[in-house]
Amino acid sequence: MFTSSPEVPKWLLALLNQLYEIEQKLLRHGDPANALRNVTKIKDNLEESGLFYEDPMGQSFKETRTDLEATISGSQTDNLVVVEVIKPIIRGGTRDFSRIVQKGIVVVETKKVSTS
Amino acid sequence: MSSMINYGIDLGTTNSLIARFNKGQVEVFKNPTGFKETLPSVVGFRSDRIMVGEQARTYAEKDSKSVASRFKRKMGTTEAIKIKALNAAKTPVELSAFVLKELKTFIHTGDSPEAAVITVPASFDMVQANATKEAGHLAGFKQVVLLQEPIAASLAYANKDNSNDLKNSQWIVYDLGGGTFDVALVKIVEGELTVVDHEGDNYLGGSDFDALIVEKLIVPELKKRGSFGDLLGQLKSETGKYNRLWAVLLHRAEEAKIELSNRASAEIDLSLVRDLVDDAGVPIESIITITRSEFEAVIKDAIDATADMMRKILTRNSLRAQDLRFVLMVGGATYTPFVRKRIEELMGIPINTDIDPTNAIAVGAAYFAATKELKLEVTGGDVAPAGEIKVRAAYNRASQEKEELFSARVEGDTGGLFYRITRDDGAFDSGLKKLNARITEDLPLQENAFNLFTFRIYDGKNNPVAATVGSIQIAQGKYSVAGQLLPEDLSLVKDDPGARDTRLDRVFEKNHVLPTKAKKAVEVGKTIIKDSDDELRIMIVEGPAENHPSTNKPVGVLLISGRQLSRDLLKGTGVDLTFEMSESRDLTVSAYLDGTGQEFSQVFDQKPRAVPVRTLASEIQMLDAKLDAEQQEATENENFETAEDLKKLKGQVQELVGEAALLSIDDVTDDRFKLEDRKRKVAQELNALTASKRVDKARVEYAKAKREVSNLVRESGDDKERHQLAELLAREHTFINSSNPERIQTATLGLERLRYQILFRTPDFLVGMFQSLVERRAGMNDQLQAKTLIETGKRNIQSEAWEDLRAVNGRLWNLLPQTDKDSEEMKSFTGIV
Repeated sequence: MFTSSPEVPKWLLALLNQLYEIEQKLLRHGDPANALRNVTKIKDNLEESGLFYEDPMGQSFKETRTDLEATISGSQTDNLVVVEVIKPIIRGGTRDFSRIVQKGIVVVETKKVSTS
Repeated sequence: MSSMINYGIDLGTTNSLIARFNKGQVEVFKNPTGFKETLPSVVGFRSDRIMVGEQARTYAEKDSKSVASRFKRKMGTTEAIKIKALNAAKTPVELSAFVLKELKTFIHTGDSPEAAVITVPASFDMVQANATKEAGHLAGFKQVVLLQEPIAASLAYANKDNSNDLKNSQWIVYDLGGGTFDVALVKIVEGELTVVDHEGDNYLGGSDFDALIVEKLIVPELKKRGSFGDLLGQLKSETGKYNRLWAVLLHRAEEAKIELSNRASAEIDLSLVRDLVDDAGVPIESIITITRSEFEAVIKDAIDATADMMRKILTRNSLRAQDLRFVLMVGGATYTPFVRKRIEELMGIPINTDIDPTNAIAVGAAYFAATKELKLEVTGGDVAPAGEIKVRAAYNRASQEKEELFSARVEGDTGGLFYRITRDDGAFDSGLKKLNARITEDLPLQENAFNLFTFRIYDGKNNPVAATVGSIQIAQGKYSVAGQLLPEDLSLVKDDPGARDTRLDRVFEKNHVLPTKAKKAVEVGKTIIKDSDDELRIMIVEGPAENHPSTNKPVGVLLISGRQLSRDLLKGTGVDLTFEMSESRDLTVSAYLDGTGQEFSQVFDQKPRAVPVRTLASEIQMLDAKLDAEQQEATENENFETAEDLKKLKGQVQELVGEAALLSIDDVTDDRFKLEDRKRKVAQELNALTASKRVDKARVEYAKAKREVSNLVRESGDDKERHQLAELLAREHTFINSSNPERIQTATLGLERLRYQILFRTPDFLVGMFQSLVERRAGMNDQLQAKTLIETGKRNIQSEAWEDLRAVNGRLWNLLPQTDKDSEEMKSFTGIV
């Protein structure tokens, strides 16, 4: 378990980041061979060992959030939402009690208010 | 307490660090969330809070009216930075003090240092140096000692290894950081380290390399692949169509740059970028390869410019390359091999990369601090308030919302005090806010988790103030009125071939909040032939998971018959089970068969209970058989009272058997539910009647297994097995006095597994097994092969080739006819293990 110490080996974080990318690619570009099932299995195994990631896509961002390293796109800085995720947030522990072990790296942008 | 200063601070233009010398070692502190040693030197004033570091840096470019950065270069000037949110201006000294105060929060040891060594660039004049000192005082340090950065780096090198003798030599410190470049000539003059000359560029660093990769390599490549107008302009402009992509590209470029330190080429993968299309809407091929030589070509001019600055220093000081001992590399950008190689090549001076370039200055400052005595200067600064602060907080302890309002009344003198709330998982930081008599803060909550927050009060110098504030705990999605709790354990019934019985595997624990979801991976326990009537029974029961399955209430059975299979399902194939329970307690069970790729799913609402007649009939049969065995045993042991009770139960079971036989497979009445209820009651009674006997028996078996396995481990176990045994025995107190035999049996099973793990290695066991197989030779399928194998086995025994003997045993076992092997196995009930 990785609850007490934030020192998770780098290779393990790299592995989770890659897994996240694979998952996103499959979700976005299609998954004819049902590889997402394998991704989910690996995720479950990792979660049992106390590591899981969180996709912040679409979440709102403000200055008090310390689980994200954000770059602001556009000129506005209010009502920001995550529009690109470069790396997900990785947490150590259980779903009930966990700690951030890797900040998510994201691009945020002012939420567009629909004009319709 | 040490009488030395011990604390060293690298107050950098882009990043700052703090380190402490303690017992001969220097520790560089990490930020409270434990990720980085560096704190971006950026201060933001947004809304009513003050933020320092990463959070502020996010807004540095886009909200320069409330966020200040790179103020170090303005130290000692009268220029003040206007802050819109404050409607006031802050001086570089005040801003630097914020950074220094924030660094104090990195110190996890709870110390609150009163003195520190702070580094300054070689280029700082007296006014600038004094301004830095003032910032230190403002941050609450009573004693501030300044140290030039190149000297600090040199000290880090000199202290790294005592053999680094720098006497009678001079060298260059080459400091290429994230955003600034400094180069200095250092030499020992009259026994003291002195900066003789220096040069620098305030706008050159590693982040410029990333931008160069994007501008000179990625953008031209993208333009080749699609039709773009002014792509670079659209990337860089705030209102540009591709502005969002700019940040992604910079990040990927940085990753590629790091990768190119070890490899000849790196790939930039943009397939995760949403809508990567050109101006005409055509998707762009998303993998771009960059070679090391391409990268080197784009940064070459910048590196050559730094060499020019070094040459100027040499010329001004009438030095030749050979007069210099080395070029000491400092700053993150010097990790790039080309930087090192090019400088060595151009200057003809050896490169020294012995120190960690990112923290060398802070480390050197701490070494220096360890030699400086504490002499606390009297300053006219604020004094921490003496009066006690009382905080009465009000907030919801349980919430379904994403945010919860925290409010508090503060009693005592709040003048000049600040507060800060952080979430313990590292995902929220309120920043420093002024403490008033009444405070409110929206606390964001992590969903479905226990959220712990820490509330701290600080004085004007970021020293914590004692106050009666506990931690704030809010459960999100837990224990709320809306969230239903599960009244009993829900478990999966599995075959237990070892015990020739079934057992429970808990899926959801009692009091779990609904809705909920869980997964289990199981294996097929027996081969199911396509189109046969054999079936897998994914059976879920409700009740204590430690009990025997027959005593628990069935919730539902997902049946998968041979007729539904697209091909044979072999023993050992994986089955992924997913269980989902809604708030209204509808249970959805899905099974994915790895072997056939089929998925089966069924929803069980709580009534009527799904009890297939066929399953019920086999359960009753199992119960009947068990009862017979118990009755026989009780009679043999002359335990007549129990035998009599069991006899009564037997009568009831007989009735059940008869009634079950009368039920049609598609019975639609509630007869089967009544029958199931009665069956369960009989099973519970049987369980109760035999519990004490089974507990005693289980204890005896456990004690025996413990004795034998302990001996075996002592004689033939390895380290890992000794550790496994110790772990098993350490848990003994949790089950040995339990009235539940299954718990003790589970522990015995653990010991048995360990026993066989060791036995399968030991020669005696292997020989014994071989001999037993030889005795069963007559029944084997292929006599010729059996003969050859037995001869090989005998030779293996002679030559003590135990590994080979094990292989022979395995192959002989496979020659046994199926029925022989099956006799070792239980009759499968659920078909899953």
